[in-house]
Amino acid sequence: MAVRWSRAAPQLALTPAVAITLIAFFGAILWTIYMSFTKSRRFPDYTIDPAEWGRQYGRLFADDVWTTSLKNLIVLAVGSALAIVIGFILAALINHEKRAEGIFRTVFLYPLAVSLIVTGLVWRWMFNPSLGIENFLHEIGFKHAAFNWLAEPQTAMFGIILASIWQSSGFYMALMLAGLKSINSEIWSAARLDGVAFWRVYLEIIVPMMKFTFLTCAILLSLGVVKAFDIIVAMTNGGPGTSTWTPAYFAINAYSIRSNIGFASAAAVIMLVITLVIFLPLIVVTAWQIRRRQAALA
Amino acid sequence: MTATIARDEGGAAAALPFAYPRRKRRIKGSSIAILVFLSMCAAFMAIPLYVVIVTSFKTMQQITLGEIFSLPTTWTLEPWSKAWNGLCTGLECNGIKTGFFTSVKILFPSLFLSLGISSVTGYALALWNVRWAGSFMFILFMCAFVPFQIIMIPLIILVSGVGIYGTVWAIAVVHAILSMPLLTLIFRNFYKDIPRELMSAAMMDSGSFWRVYLEIILPMSGNIMVVVLILMITSVWNDYLIGLTFGGFGAQPMTLILANSVITSRGEIIYNVDMAAALLTAVPPLVVYFALGRFFVQGITAGAIKG
Repeated sequence: MAVRWSRAAPQLALTPAVAITLIAFFGAILWTIYMSFTKSRRFPDYTIDPAEWGRQYGRLFADDVWTTSLKNLIVLAVGSALAIVIGFILAALINHEKRAEGIFRTVFLYPLAVSLIVTGLVWRWMFNPSLGIENFLHEIGFKHAAFNWLAEPQTAMFGIILASIWQSSGFYMALMLAGLKSINSEIWSAARLDGVAFWRVYLEIIVPMMKFTFLTCAILLSLGVVKAFDIIVAMTNGGPGTSTWTPAYFAINAYSIRSNIGFASAAAVIMLVITLVIFLPLIVVTAWQIRRRQAALA
Repeated sequence: MTATIARDEGGAAAALPFAYPRRKRRIKGSSIAILVFLSMCAAFMAIPLYVVIVTSFKTMQQITLGEIFSLPTTWTLEPWSKAWNGLCTGLECNGIKTGFFTSVKILFPSLFLSLGISSVTGYALALWNVRWAGSFMFILFMCAFVPFQIIMIPLIILVSGVGIYGTVWAIAVVHAILSMPLLTLIFRNFYKDIPRELMSAAMMDSGSFWRVYLEIILPMSGNIMVVVLILMITSVWNDYLIGLTFGGFGAQPMTLILANSVITSRGEIIYNVDMAAALLTAVPPLVVYFALGRFFVQGITAGAIKG
């Protein structure tokens, strides 16, 4: 009896986690996918009209704001990719110099502990045209400096990108630093003996060695961009007009403002598809790495 | 997977300084250039914090002069007390303190729930022979990446069905659900390194799943608990979206009150009060960060997929 009990206990202990996975993840995802094919509005409606099952998606892609959201997604992803580059440069410099490493790491990382809402509000204040940075630049002599990015539809996204780079480059620095430290230090002595310039060592040896870290960073960044919501709310609340909407903002808005479950579900399904597309390379590369490691052991 | 790799690299980072002591040498020109460059980057990172702190102590009179970087001519605490007691959202002016207490009420149950579920699950997956452990972990790994929007509406319906929508419990439960996959993987990666001999000795001794957990595993988990705790405290405290979608009007966490009052405010904007409110919201995670920085770094690299 005791033996049987000991086998049952772990299964029992796993029930909450399995239940959460089945209900809150699997069930919920399937429900949302199902809803995206219905004509549900404020309340869920479970009938699917076979002639019009793709109606919500048709409406979605006919919607100019959705197109803007998808464009902004790409702009935001490309723009914030700078955070990875900055993160790598900072990590390389810190790792190379090693003086005051602790202080620099603390300063570069603290934005990560600040919520995106606060980050957005703070940058919104800095972008204030009459009292913020622009005014400061005018006063010290740059009369034509324009830093009122958030007020113009063409530049508002850049304001958001600047704030997200500020918030996240420390995070990529930490990941890169961890990657750099795991590199065998004999490379450095070898390079020093050969008299190779240190930046060439980085470009030609270190970066290729760290390609997996770079890929991880890129995937994390893309997933973060797909989820971009808080920072949009805090900095522009989608404006001016609808110029800074993102798919995440669109889906929440379709549910809470337009009260349209079917439409919001369709937007969420597209978000899931985008996530899967980003996510797939990670699985492939991880599997490849594991196989290579096993091959090396065998 | 990602969590594993990040943790292994973190381990290497901690071990390295002892293995390779740096040779002493004179400061070279290139070193000075690097330090100057790094200091400039540090200044860029620090400027927003500086501006917020300075603004929150200024009088509105001085703020309207427009010198964003100057120190306050007269330091005043009035914006802080106004932010705490009298910040307005819509028609109500109850200050940000209501949000603070709501956030605290959300924080504790969500920490308790998420740490409880995920540490037990991680322990079962790592140290007990569960046949489908591998595939379950892969599924958890996938779940950790799922965008919130795709599960939001059914969860709202479920939570309303249970009758807790619009309470702190709804927000706490949703936090626990959303963090479960990632935290389980972190715990599992930690527990799997526990030596086999120790486990078999423990099995000989009592053999009970729960007794081994309570008497041996839990006392060994101090480090990982702190890391996960920090990860959860910052993510729950800084959350906006879950509070927005599950809090209704009854349970608005601090970030929500802050955003509502600053974004939707009509009429004259009182910048110093806004900035004081923003700082008050940011203080708890910042204190955690500056007090426990080392664990914080481990937490975010382990929880990399959460960012």
